[in-house]
Amino acid sequence: MSVASANAIADRLYRRRKIRNAFALGVSGLATLFGLFWLVWILWTTLANGISALTPMLFTQSTPAPVEPGGLANALFGSLLMSALAIAVGAPVGVLAGTWLAEYARRGRLGNTLRFLNDILLSAPSIVLGLFVYALLVKPSGHFSAYAGALALALIVLPIVVRTTDEMLQLVPGAMREAALSLGIPQWKVTVQVLWRSARPGIVTGILLALARISGETAPLLFTALNNQYWSINPNAPMASVPVAIFQFAMSPYDNWHALAWAGAFVITAFVLLLSLIARLILHRYKVNHE
Amino acid sequence: MNTQPHDHIVKSYDAEIARLTGEIARMGELSAAQLDAAMDALGKRDSRAAQRVIDNDEALDAQEHQISNDVLRLLALRQPIARDLREILAALRIASDIERIGDYAANVAKRSTVLNMSAPVPLAGSLGALAQLASGLVLEVLQAYRERDAELAHSVWERDAELDTLYTSLFRELLTYMVEDPHSITACTHLLFIAKNIERIGDHATNIAENIWFVERGEPLSDPRKKGVGVFDLD
Amino acid sequence: MNDISPMRRLAPAAGQTTLAVADPAQPGVAELAAVKIVVRELDFFYQDNQALKKISLDVPERHVTAIIGPSGCGKSTLLRVLNRIYAVYPKLIASGEVLLDGEDILDPHYPINRLRSKVGMVFQKPVPFPMSIRDNIAYGIRHHEELDRGEMDTRVEQALRDAALWDEVKDKLKNNALGLSGGQQQRLCIARAIALKPDVLLLDEPTSALDPIATGRIEQLIEELKRDYTIVIVTHNMQQAARVSDFTAFMYLGELIEFGDTEKIFTKPDKQQTEDYITGRFG
Repeated sequence: MSVASANAIADRLYRRRKIRNAFALGVSGLATLFGLFWLVWILWTTLANGISALTPMLFTQSTPAPVEPGGLANALFGSLLMSALAIAVGAPVGVLAGTWLAEYARRGRLGNTLRFLNDILLSAPSIVLGLFVYALLVKPSGHFSAYAGALALALIVLPIVVRTTDEMLQLVPGAMREAALSLGIPQWKVTVQVLWRSARPGIVTGILLALARISGETAPLLFTALNNQYWSINPNAPMASVPVAIFQFAMSPYDNWHALAWAGAFVITAFVLLLSLIARLILHRYKVNHE
Repeated sequence: MNTQPHDHIVKSYDAEIARLTGEIARMGELSAAQLDAAMDALGKRDSRAAQRVIDNDEALDAQEHQISNDVLRLLALRQPIARDLREILAALRIASDIERIGDYAANVAKRSTVLNMSAPVPLAGSLGALAQLASGLVLEVLQAYRERDAELAHSVWERDAELDTLYTSLFRELLTYMVEDPHSITACTHLLFIAKNIERIGDHATNIAENIWFVERGEPLSDPRKKGVGVFDLD
Repeated sequence: MNDISPMRRLAPAAGQTTLAVADPAQPGVAELAAVKIVVRELDFFYQDNQALKKISLDVPERHVTAIIGPSGCGKSTLLRVLNRIYAVYPKLIASGEVLLDGEDILDPHYPINRLRSKVGMVFQKPVPFPMSIRDNIAYGIRHHEELDRGEMDTRVEQALRDAALWDEVKDKLKNNALGLSGGQQQRLCIARAIALKPDVLLLDEPTSALDPIATGRIEQLIEELKRDYTIVIVTHNMQQAARVSDFTAFMYLGELIEFGDTEKIFTKPDKQQTEDYITGRFG
């Protein structure tokens, strides 16, 4: 084959590759725009519709009767309390379980089986978890409660934290473990003082993302915390939450309830967005570079 | 380490070493040819042929220069160790020995042109034999080098004693000439120097033999040297 | 030549391990130096896979012993047996004898805490802990000794000085160690290991991730450290083994092929396999 014809073929292949590249790049860009379009639309719609209810009253007044002024204070408090309780229960248990998986059961059948089960829990529909807690707690005690709601949310937090902790610890190089052990430091101390520290940004990010996930959950709360139209701080009683309030108000025929539902939706969306941003920031700034 | 080494994983390394040893072999052959040509010119009283030998010595010098460049490059770029290092180090030393052999051949040629200016002396028959023996040693040691034959190198190394013995007897022969015929003293002195040059060629052949031994065995060739009867053992 | 090497002038230290020869077929090695670690008939298994086969080796005290060999030859495994770091992983079994100052460290009754304080280790990749430079050093010491702040500062400074890092970090001891360059991180890891005042220092390819200048610094450091420590270094870099070590062991497929003076191994090894490996030939 002559050099000229070889060059011609190479040029043709190169042109074809460039065309394909331009096409793929264009499609990817369009897909990104498509995703962003909906996100902006959602944010805009929630903001536009909820703007009339986005007043200080939203944070100071409890949910009103139809056609009366009011806010979402009780629902916001309920969401905060139940999310906090859920994190307080789910995160430590999840970190410990994830640590056990990564450090003591990295390989082997038991560890892999548990990892598999955890993944099932991770993808279980949240309404199933709500029903489970309903059967476990609400039914026997005879009443709905914030405790039950928090437990249902904790069951969502748990597998996320287990998974991220497990993965983050597995990313810590083996040499770091061996270096600490070779100084004569016992394994539990190595785990707590060196490995957790090294994996901390990742684990914290996992917890924040779990928080973002549960702050918008409605289904598990319907059967557990139910709802409460009035201000209540008793965790052993039914409690309002933002998602459930949105659900209830959006279904109603009243305009002021609609506005509150939109405002609630905007607050939750903004909160989740904020958490995601913080998580990204932590990962970006404090990530221990293992390379 | 008697066995032949395996090939290097990096093929160009083998190629470069092969090139180096090839250059040595060619240079060695040229030096042996120079000696033969010088002896031929001496026998035929052919000053022009002798001049060609003298001129050719430059080619040997250039080859030695080339080899030392190659050695330098191999040392810097390949960082040889163990056998490779011995091989490359020996190449440098052997090239210098061959270059000296060439110098001696050129010296023989130079003295032959001087001899041609005076009346011919009856050439001591043993000078030709001496040269033949020396040339044989050079060719054999080159063969040992090409074939990586330590035993052959060792036999060359031992046979240098024969050359020494022959040189000593030639030395006596020439002395006898000079005593008998004082007119031949100038010519005989030149012949004496030629004989000495040829004897030195044998020494360089043994140096080469020692280097071959060192490459192959990794240790110096050093059992007590069986010397022939030396000039200075005379009285 | 051998007669004048410092090695030969060393008298066997009193109360030391029997000065046996590693392999009766290779007498002369480490005969006259005090022997710090004696390895005898060491077998090592990864489940069914035998990684070390009947290794016998004498590691001379206050000298540098290099272990070379192709990947998977068992050199890192051997290093990992010397401080029993392998015990972290399940299903690894070592059998035979490894005597450190005459005591068998493979004996389950040998206190691991003591072993680790006597045998320090530095790894291929520099892995400073995610804490300050000072705490990286102090962390290990705290586990073994109770020191007040002043004493600890002295120890940290000494360790950093010994690792030739003090001048570069003395003004930023509170900074995160991860901010140091790769070469500095590796010297920090060496400082961390020698802060415990071990007798033996195990180096597992300590410069394979470093540039030539940082590598040169570490090699100079090894030269200085061998006055006080018995050093065993695993390296893929033959020139490095030749530069830094007094003795070299060549391993292949889990076996110790040859062990001897570094000078001898790199100029005229006894075994064809060793020669082929160090000169980069097909074996």
